[in-house]
Amino acid sequence: MFERFTQDARDVVRGAVAHGRRSGSQCVDPEHLLLALLDREASRASFALAALGLTERRESVRQALDAARRRAGLTRAEADALAGLGIDLSAIVSRVEEAHGVGALSGDRADKGRWSGRRSFSRGAKDVLERALRAAVARRDRHVGDEHILLALTTLPGVPAETLADHGVTHASVTRVLYGEGGEARAAG
Amino acid sequence: MTEATDLAERAGDRDPRVGLRAVAALRRLLEQLEAVQVRSARHQGWSWQEIAAELGVSRQAVHKKYGRQ
Repeated sequence: MFERFTQDARDVVRGAVAHGRRSGSQCVDPEHLLLALLDREASRASFALAALGLTERRESVRQALDAARRRAGLTRAEADALAGLGIDLSAIVSRVEEAHGVGALSGDRADKGRWSGRRSFSRGAKDVLERALRAAVARRDRHVGDEHILLALTTLPGVPAETLADHGVTHASVTRVLYGEGGEARAAG
Repeated sequence: MTEATDLAERAGDRDPRVGLRAVAALRRLLEQLEAVQVRSARHQGWSWQEIAAELGVSRQAVHKKYGRQ
């Protein structure tokens, strides 16, 4: 699958592995792919994110991802669904963190250095990469670039898509800045 | 406007999507809660057998899931 990935897309995948390792996560998750995308410079995805005004708001995105991880990786929409059942997710998070420390529900290990094994990609992260491949195929692009990874993150339900949408980055807005109004015109390059 | 607002409004309509999403969210929350409690028990020196008994599962099941960590 990776043979069709551009250098930029491969750098995002590598960056995601590094982010996973740094946070003590046992898997590379879609959030790590988004964090790696935020680090990019002079790529098609970074161009799109800059055009949508996200470059200056990267820290806000990172904080939102961190907050979601602390509440067991659940989206706000999921927290609302739980509230509908009478379950107060934030109350659960604060009780657990009181007893077991900040970030206890994140699934990340506190002893970050100890876990040195190879990190596997979570089901969610694999879905993102597969969706990126399909996005490229659908546009008849011969290569999978980091912009396709960004597009995939905006379409798969979850914390990255919700966080991006909160910052004005949706499938529609990314398509618009990459490919022009309506997404019909192919961008040069 | 937001998805969250939509959901709150639909909750009254018994939209299956809201209920199903709540179940899926609960399952993921449960997984994390279990991991926290198992880790804590291990830190306090509990055996896999003792943890399994409290969780109501087999010793093999809990060891297979968390033993490697």
